[in-house]
Amino acid sequence: MKAVIKRLFHRFDRQVIESQIEEELRFHLELLTEQHLLQDMSLSAAKDAALKRFGDVEQIKDQCVEISKSNRPMIRALKFLLVLVFLSGVSIRIFGPELSVTRVGDVLIAIAVLGRLFFYVRGLNPSRFTSGDEHSSPLKLNDNGLTFTAYDQTRRTPLERVISDP
Amino acid sequence: MAKARTDLMQGTLELLILKTLSRDSMHGYGIAQRIHEAADDLLKIEDGSLYPALYRMEERGWITSTWDVSENNRRAKFYKLTKAGRKQLGAESANWNRVSQAISRILQTA
Repeated sequence: MKAVIKRLFHRFDRQVIESQIEEELRFHLELLTEQHLLQDMSLSAAKDAALKRFGDVEQIKDQCVEISKSNRPMIRALKFLLVLVFLSGVSIRIFGPELSVTRVGDVLIAIAVLGRLFFYVRGLNPSRFTSGDEHSSPLKLNDNGLTFTAYDQTRRTPLERVISDP
Repeated sequence: MAKARTDLMQGTLELLILKTLSRDSMHGYGIAQRIHEAADDLLKIEDGSLYPALYRMEERGWITSTWDVSENNRRAKFYKLTKAGRKQLGAESANWNRVSQAISRILQTA
């Protein structure tokens, strides 16, 4: 039981999440480096080639941490709890027989709304609002230097891209 | 030479990952290698871009992950398709076929 609880809290630890993501990305980079070493490259050239093929490690790590944070079981449980609090508040507000009881409902609704707002603001990533065009090309067609993006992460329409891209 | 840029459909990378994982559970490097091999170097994927996609897909419940020992005796995170992921693969594949057929028809007639 103690081990189960320890393991559960271990999963919630932000540092653990970050170190696991780092370990996963490092594993990939090491195998890529080994793959390039087999092509008779020097170690530094192989590392450079691996990094080039991998992309911006720090940016990718940050993205994974952000996604993991929102996917943590504790956060999901809290969000679910807020929904229950909201529904309880609404029920009390509707069916509460006295004014003093309906005020409890108001308080519950307020807690639920503020809680959701907190999670929304916390989940905002400033990088979503900036133009990270250099990093928005995960998929490329390997022909004549034409570059195709899987999708535009900056959420611009094709017309906007034509206008703003040189 | 200036690079021409255009967009592929949103969700293309997810579709490729779902299809790759439909055979076997794999780690990120394995998924990237399999896609490179299958695409016969016509598509170049920036390997790192797989990871945010994998994490998003796990959040949506399409895949699950577990830490295990890789073929070279190193600890690695393996991804596996869930039932919901298999269903999503079917839907995404059908959608892709529909759109590509429609575009082909337009290109042939226009």
